[in-house]
Amino acid sequence: MPILEARSLSRTYRLGKVDVPVLRDLSLSVAEGEWLAILGASGSGKSTLLHLLGGLDRPDRNRSNPQAGVYFDGAPLAGKSRRDLDRHRARDFGFVFQFYHLLPELTALQNVTVASMVRLGLGYAGRSREVRKVAEELLDRFGLSGRLGHRPAELSGGERQRVAIARALVNEPRVLLADEPTGNLDRATGQGILDTISDLHRDKRQTIVMVTHDPYVADRADRALRLVDGVLADNREESAPMTPVLQG
Amino acid sequence: MYQALLTRRYLTSKLMPLLAALAVVLCTAMVLVVWSVMGGFLGMLLDTGRLLVGDVEITRPVTGMPYYEELIERLEADPEIKAATATVEGLALMGLEDGRTMAVKVIGVDGKGYDAVTGYGDTLWWRHLDQPNKKDVSREDLRLQLEPGYEDAGLMLTENNPFTGEPVAAAVPGIEATGETSRQTGGWYQSAYTEGLGVTLRRSESGDRWVMQSDGREYVIDKLPFTIDQSITLSMLPISGRGAAIDVQVRKIPIANEFRTGLYEVDQGIVLVRMDLVQEMLKLDRAVRVADSFSSGVTTNDDGSESFAEPEIIGEEPARATSVLIKGAPGVTDQRVKERCVAIYAQFFEAHPFEVPSPGQVRIDKWDERPSVAHLIGAVKTETSLVLALFGFISLTAVFLVFAIFWAMVSEKTKDIGILRSVGASRSGVGMIFISYGLVIGLVGAVLGVALAFLIVHNINPIHEWIGQVTGRYVWDPKVYYFTVIPNKVVLWQAALILVGGAVFSVLGSILPAAKAANMDPVRALRFE
Ligand SMILES: Nc1ncnc2c1ncn2[C@@H]1O[C@H](COP(=O)(O)OP(=O)(O)O)[C@@H](O)[C@H]1O
Ligand SMILES: [Mg+2]
Repeated sequence: MPILEARSLSRTYRLGKVDVPVLRDLSLSVAEGEWLAILGASGSGKSTLLHLLGGLDRPDRNRSNPQAGVYFDGAPLAGKSRRDLDRHRARDFGFVFQFYHLLPELTALQNVTVASMVRLGLGYAGRSREVRKVAEELLDRFGLSGRLGHRPAELSGGERQRVAIARALVNEPRVLLADEPTGNLDRATGQGILDTISDLHRDKRQTIVMVTHDPYVADRADRALRLVDGVLADNREESAPMTPVLQG
Repeated sequence: MYQALLTRRYLTSKLMPLLAALAVVLCTAMVLVVWSVMGGFLGMLLDTGRLLVGDVEITRPVTGMPYYEELIERLEADPEIKAATATVEGLALMGLEDGRTMAVKVIGVDGKGYDAVTGYGDTLWWRHLDQPNKKDVSREDLRLQLEPGYEDAGLMLTENNPFTGEPVAAAVPGIEATGETSRQTGGWYQSAYTEGLGVTLRRSESGDRWVMQSDGREYVIDKLPFTIDQSITLSMLPISGRGAAIDVQVRKIPIANEFRTGLYEVDQGIVLVRMDLVQEMLKLDRAVRVADSFSSGVTTNDDGSESFAEPEIIGEEPARATSVLIKGAPGVTDQRVKERCVAIYAQFFEAHPFEVPSPGQVRIDKWDERPSVAHLIGAVKTETSLVLALFGFISLTAVFLVFAIFWAMVSEKTKDIGILRSVGASRSGVGMIFISYGLVIGLVGAVLGVALAFLIVHNINPIHEWIGQVTGRYVWDPKVYYFTVIPNKVVLWQAALILVGGAVFSVLGSILPAAKAANMDPVRALRFE
């Protein structure tokens, strides 16, 4: 059974009086332990897809197909309450964003532990040492042991993204959802981040869904799909004429 | 948990919320200072309002009540009543030695009895002082120069005639009544005549005259330029039983002392005089009743000559008092004392049917029901609540300030909200960040505000003094507010209430911003630039 599955996903934005369909009847299946890359041009709906998979956003209602929607471990997200979705995000998903999205007032360490605080609620009080240890280990693994007390503003782009990855991993999520994690970094730094993710995938068999516009990045994954016109296609078939897309 | 962490971080890294806290500090401090001072003022009024009036008063104005001694005996026989005394009240014109004339209320009192009921003796101002009060560093208070004697004269309302040595009835005006004494900031009185001239007074060597020092020169004077060495002239109109004025009674009366209750109205408008003199002037003293007939005015003697007849005495009119003041026994409520007075007066009336006013013709009031006092206390109470309501209303600005600052902060923190939602924070959890932030700001602000208010109120007198010295203006002019010291006590429950109020106001201000944060779409928040 796939750990994450999308069936006939549609997402339409309303711009004034115009409906802009971004995803149309998109289907997708992610196996446990797999690293899946989704390649798509800017504006193709990659972020939208990732938000839907992670339960941050809800797809259009599909009247003709009641089975449509996102499934996690075979269970539909659509049937879940808000609270359950919140808990889902805290426990089962870890998000990494293009622009790091760290909390500027918190230190690197606090930016990581805050995700545990959210997950554990008041229970955090009794487990703060344990959480702290996990967070420190993660940051240490990412070469940030000397940066624990630094604010995001005092860190480089690559360091910030590593903190963000550590935050995404601190709750040991089943699936890591990465939205162009190297999109804001120079190539060398981006390679470093990809190495980090790659190690993680290899050592812990971490399930990863990563969206990107960069075919070289997609190449690092086990499997790559292309998002074109709101649906997915196998990347291999059309990858030959693909031209590298410009950064940003 | 993360709310606490973020609240702490936001608190130490943002300036605007500290401004909100400052607003809370100022609002809570302001309200508590005003409340403490106004409330304290009211308390002092209530304390002094009872002076000179006793607990309960039985009144029959103008015509008065006969047999009042018997009424007093009946009252004092009651175990719930400690003492009772009679007074005679009337209006008078008071003439001063310099020719000024003013209207005053004259109360004839029996010094000892009056003191037993009202504590009048303690209000007498002129008495010998050994030590100057704390503010009187240069020993300007004339009382330091006085020898004992003024106090007794004041208490008995009797002075010895300087020529004959005979005791004569004397007057004790309120200290503000003549306008000849002038209250000093330090709490003592100077003669209005010498005020500002840097005059000091001391006893002459011989002891019976005064030495006045001014500009290094000395003048020996016979009489103090003070009311206590002067006389007043009182003119009173006795009124007949039918309400017609009889003939004006004028007396020149020496001033034995002055009293000071602390209530300006009382100290400015009342002159106490020995009761027998007032009864005499108002024709309320004991009198014989003569037959009212002209025909018997002339009699024919045995030898045939005619002469005016001795008026035929057909009875005696007892002396009258317009009020009887009553003091309850310790621990007895005013209400209870009043009930006893009503009952005893009814018995008194039964003993003298139609000789004394019926119970329906007399007023029996507790001290705070007396129209003049009730009016004053009511006015101060109204003013206190008005000012409090006003300042409370102004404090609403703190709510709006917190609201505006938090609203802006929620916008500024949109991305943070999106991030927190992405790691699983719930809508209410995100809203709670701002509520708890508001609570902390409110609590911190209110605690500091209450502390500030404590500081200000406790030191309000030195602060006031200092402002007065620097600016030359005394806001709480003792000449106006009368009390020497500004009330400087903070009531604990009021402080607690304001502390809670400050926190509640801040939370109120943060509710809408928190709702805005909670309702934010996480995806939009994350995309927000
Ligand atoms: N809230 C929104 N309202 C309207 N249009 C949106 C909204 N969010 C995204 N879009 C549009 O949907 C399309 C897909 O956006 P996105 O998922 O961010 O693409 P990608 O991540 O591949 O660049 C874009 O054309 C974008 O302008
Ligand atoms: Mg995107």
